[in-house]
Amino acid sequence: MRTAFSILQKDLRMEFRSKESILAMWIFSLLIFVIFNFTFEVSRLVMLEIAPGLLWVAFIFSGMFGLNHSFAVEKEDGNLRSMALMPVDGGQIYLGKFLSVTIIMLMFEFLIFPIFIIFYDLQLSFQMFLLIPVILAGTIGFTSLGTILSAVAVHTRNQQILLSLLLWPLVSPIIIWSVNLTGMVLGGGEIGAVFFPLLIRVAAFDVIFFTIAYMLFDFILED
Amino acid sequence: MAVPALHLEKVSKDFGRIIALRNIDLKVEPGEFLSILGRNGAGKTTLLNIISGVSRPSSGSVQLFGTDPGDRENKAKLAVISHEMFLYGNLTALENLEYYGRMYSVNDLEQRIKTVLHEVELTHRRFDLVAAFSRGMTQRLTIARAILHQPSLLLLDEPFTGLDQQAIGMLIDLLKSQKELGRTILLTTHDLHTAKVLSERYIILEKHQIMQDGLMTETNPDEIRKKYFSPLEKAEMS
Repeated sequence: MRTAFSILQKDLRMEFRSKESILAMWIFSLLIFVIFNFTFEVSRLVMLEIAPGLLWVAFIFSGMFGLNHSFAVEKEDGNLRSMALMPVDGGQIYLGKFLSVTIIMLMFEFLIFPIFIIFYDLQLSFQMFLLIPVILAGTIGFTSLGTILSAVAVHTRNQQILLSLLLWPLVSPIIIWSVNLTGMVLGGGEIGAVFFPLLIRVAAFDVIFFTIAYMLFDFILED
Repeated sequence: MAVPALHLEKVSKDFGRIIALRNIDLKVEPGEFLSILGRNGAGKTTLLNIISGVSRPSSGSVQLFGTDPGDRENKAKLAVISHEMFLYGNLTALENLEYYGRMYSVNDLEQRIKTVLHEVELTHRRFDLVAAFSRGMTQRLTIARAILHQPSLLLLDEPFTGLDQQAIGMLIDLLKSQKELGRTILLTTHDLHTAKVLSERYIILEKHQIMQDGLMTETNPDEIRKKYFSPLEKAEMS
């Protein structure tokens, strides 16, 4: 855990110093919310239908930026190679990178969510607390898979395209379920019997993705 | 009999149809300073990547201190210095060293950092971001980073590239002191003069294999230049 913690500390220190990822992600999401809010004049009911999708579009597209940035920093000045040379377990390197990407993404989500509530005029209720496990599970699924695929893609010239091509097909079930779960919460009605089993399914996928990535990361670091 | 620091047997490496190394046999004893000479594309960097365990050979065997180069114990004994800095520009010199020290589980890290910063004359700049450093200062910090965990084997991949005279002088002095400490050092370079000053033995890689393996004392640099280097590289070296 010491290795993972050192990587996490280093990444967060660099991010807080430059604020490069969080700022870019926040501005990008803000743009999405502004454009959609002012382009479509729809009733509140229709807005409630599309809001969950919009929220996750903002989360995921901004998250892609965070993922790309996380390993682009490592590629600069050969730091990815230096990681491969270190006498540490590849899984621990993965864990450190995964934690830093996830924490940065959760912080950005925490900062952008109030803007989303204001723009789409959503009613605050206790039920909204259910969004915490939904966002947490959806984000972890995205970052657990995204972290390892980003490490694969960073070796190539078309890093961003390759990351999208690899990530989207695999992560789409988690995103679709997360959008559905968010819709159930924002809809304001009673949470149906489907909610918790679906949330558990997302969490199960998170565990599977994380475990596979943790075990495979040593091979990714090799040439 | 002492275990060699490095032992390569019939090592070949290819990337698809491109051959990078062919049947390399090499033995380096502990404490030896070996220079690896050769044209661009001769396979020098690939050879160092294989020795460091970052890349696996397509065939043949590599042993570092008697075991696989990928072993964690071996990785802890190894340091690489290349034209890539292995440093984070957005961290201070001190933060970079603290990070590397933790990754290599360096004992008494604080004291060790003080020592290496003093050795590379960067103590007064320890709180500055690496992004604000000149090329020479960055390379000095790279050296500090590399020797922080007191490695037994130093791999230097064209470390003099882009350095000013002062930085080159400092790097040469530092390598001499590392040699005196009994470290095994492998250096790839085009600079025959520096190689001759520092190392006692050299190999020449040509067409992806070792064409010559000899002692520096028995070598005429002009002959080597004439035989193995292109006009452009000869001009660079003289």
